[in-house]
Amino acid sequence: MTSLWKTACLAACSGGLALAVSVSTAQADEWPTDDVRLVVPYAPGGTTDVLSRRVADLLQEELDTNVVVENRPGAGSTVATGRLARGGRDADHTILMASPGHTIGAAIYPDLAYDPVEDFVFLQNLIDIPNVMVVPADSPYDSVEEFVEAAKQENMTFSHSGVGSSIHMSGELFKTLTETNMTAVPFAGSGAALPALLGGDVDVSFENMPTVLSHINSGDLKALAVTSAERSEHLPDVPTLSEVGDHNLDQFVTTAWFGLIAHESFPQEAQDAMREALDTVMQREEFLDFAEQLGAEPGQVAGEEFKQFIAEEVERWQDVADQADISQ
Amino acid sequence: MDIASEVLQLFLQPENFLAIALGVVIGVVVGSIPGLTATMAVALALPFTFSMEPVAAILLLVGIYKGGMYGGSITAILIRTPGSPASACTLLDGYPMAQQGHAKKALKMALYSSVIADFISNIALIFFAAYLAKIALNFGAPEFFWLICFSLTIIISLASGSMIKGLLAALCGLLLSLVGLDEVYGSQRLTFGNYNLMDSISFIPLLIGLFAIPEIIEFYRKKALPHIKAKASGASVTLAEMKRSLKTIIRGSLIGVIIGAIPGTGATAAAFISYSDARRRSPNKANFGKGEVEGVAASESGNNGVAGATMIPLLSLGIPGDVITAIILGAFMVHGLTPGPVMFQENLPLIYALFMGIMFSSLVLLAVGNGAIKYFSLIADIPKEILFPIVLMFCVYGAYAVNNDTFDVWLMLGFGVLGYVFNRAAIPAAPFLIGFILGPMFEDNLRRSLLIGGNDLSIFVRGPITWFFIALTLGSILLALYRYFAARHQSARSDTTQETP
Repeated sequence: MTSLWKTACLAACSGGLALAVSVSTAQADEWPTDDVRLVVPYAPGGTTDVLSRRVADLLQEELDTNVVVENRPGAGSTVATGRLARGGRDADHTILMASPGHTIGAAIYPDLAYDPVEDFVFLQNLIDIPNVMVVPADSPYDSVEEFVEAAKQENMTFSHSGVGSSIHMSGELFKTLTETNMTAVPFAGSGAALPALLGGDVDVSFENMPTVLSHINSGDLKALAVTSAERSEHLPDVPTLSEVGDHNLDQFVTTAWFGLIAHESFPQEAQDAMREALDTVMQREEFLDFAEQLGAEPGQVAGEEFKQFIAEEVERWQDVADQADISQ
Repeated sequence: MDIASEVLQLFLQPENFLAIALGVVIGVVVGSIPGLTATMAVALALPFTFSMEPVAAILLLVGIYKGGMYGGSITAILIRTPGSPASACTLLDGYPMAQQGHAKKALKMALYSSVIADFISNIALIFFAAYLAKIALNFGAPEFFWLICFSLTIIISLASGSMIKGLLAALCGLLLSLVGLDEVYGSQRLTFGNYNLMDSISFIPLLIGLFAIPEIIEFYRKKALPHIKAKASGASVTLAEMKRSLKTIIRGSLIGVIIGAIPGTGATAAAFISYSDARRRSPNKANFGKGEVEGVAASESGNNGVAGATMIPLLSLGIPGDVITAIILGAFMVHGLTPGPVMFQENLPLIYALFMGIMFSSLVLLAVGNGAIKYFSLIADIPKEILFPIVLMFCVYGAYAVNNDTFDVWLMLGFGVLGYVFNRAAIPAAPFLIGFILGPMFEDNLRRSLLIGGNDLSIFVRGPITWFFIALTLGSILLALYRYFAARHQSARSDTTQETP
């Protein structure tokens, strides 16, 4: 009797134990099992960094784990991206904030040890910032057509924030599509480039919208067009370049996009968890307010669609880089 | 009257004072740790400001900026490791002073000149912002080009001792500054296909290697250095020294203000320009680089003069002059404010409240700096055999922290060896740094001018600002030549007088 009682007790205990173990494994299996690392491929302080820190804050509430931001600047984001592509022990808990540097970098840096499309999982496009084609207030050109006509006759200069930036490549794309004479004038960042435009030292720029919005509103700069597919709600009277239509400009749609990517081995379960969390984050008021302040639109694409977008971007910038003879 | 009460209501919040104090303390601590820069601290603090009131949020970031600008000088003076790039110039005289047992004097002078420069910079921001912003807009690539030319003539005056060695060092600096990507075409220069070199040589590992490592090598080579133990690391700054340096400090502050008001130049260049200007004018020329208190004053007033002035293009034009002001711009935008002329019309009380806070931060810097000196100056009394291993650890950590990359640690050690060779061969480091810092600016603005002007050279003489700097450059070269020949003439004459019995 006693032994039967003992056996029953033992069975019950082991059953309970087994149950406990199975519950705990189920919990352990649920991603994330560790802190999530958000790699920023640029130095602290830029748009990518500021956005990443904001997203990390919101994301860690949704994922219920720490999201640690780590800056790994170098060679126009390709150093950090290359490192992510190599994978490694914590690849299943590492995500990276990619931006136009990802696609432009792939086009202009030689011998990258990774494939910008196939080596990654594309989670979510978070925000898109349109560029604006701006000229100084006293510029004689009031429309894109007038500008293009003039640029076919004489050489124009456009300022940009550094070789391979989305601002630079937009200018090169414009030059290629319209077959005009334009010289790129490089500056160390938008802050240094802006005075040259305001002072009239250069003729035009394709600056990020947040950088120039206040100057457009105060009348110091004239906006000729925005580069996004749709008109911006910040500048409802300014046409898009694709609206202009002539001079092959119907193909001109480009934005500075920001989105999260991960190593190709990033588990399906983690992808699902991330997508769910990001869906919630992107609907939160804090995020929408933040995007609004940046002059950005919330991103539209995720997963396979996002990947498709990246593939097209890589191809497009490769063409532009080849024609403009930019290669590092 | 209404505005005044509104301003006071905005400013007199305990939260604001807390933000300034906290900001300055964080800035001084972070600034004094090699590898951790004020830029990083401001970037890291930004998310915390999202939930704060706008005035407190901006003041916190400004406090970190100002504290960080001063903090870098502490380790530069005490352990020859500049906490931030802008304080590299401070160690040229600060460290020799510490070695002679005058650590406290150097630290105090750094603090006082920082605070005075900060104050002058704030005054410029509040009263002359609109005027200076206009000058900044007229400062295009050709004007910049001539400013850099003028600054490069400074190398002549800095090459103490042998002119050949000075020029050699400057050329070395220029050569190393070429490493990286070509600014116009994006092609690689001297990178040997190495991805780590594409963003050019990182400045912080270079500084740490060049200055801190040779001291450590020297110590272990000789096994022992005479340990100078002065009680509480010596006396403070005397009134006479302060009087003597006051002109230098004011001139340095004004140099800082002008450089700071022009977007894209930076505090490091301002410190060197102020330093060489002071050396050129000082009666104690020969003592510069060997522990001259005026040198510390010149360098620190130069870099701190920049801090308030970088807010000029930011507030009046909405243009961030450097990375830190770019982050502060972000903080404004998060709170729904857009710096620029419109803000002066729409949010005047807020701007005045900010100005009051910024003025107040100078006082906080004085108090916090005094507290920091009290404890930090004890470092000078730590026996070297205990101190140096810790310094070495900080060097490795600091080099690594910049990019989270071990490559930078190797780079730092490499520059350590170079710095040691420089020391042994008595090659001065200052011209090397000036070449490294100003070289790229020279090249970029030269090429930028040519691109803007379509290769027409007349762009280089296009207006009064260019004429002014051309005159200064020529004047500076002629003066140096005159002095050189006058000195030769003098020595030739004294030789002949000695020969005649």
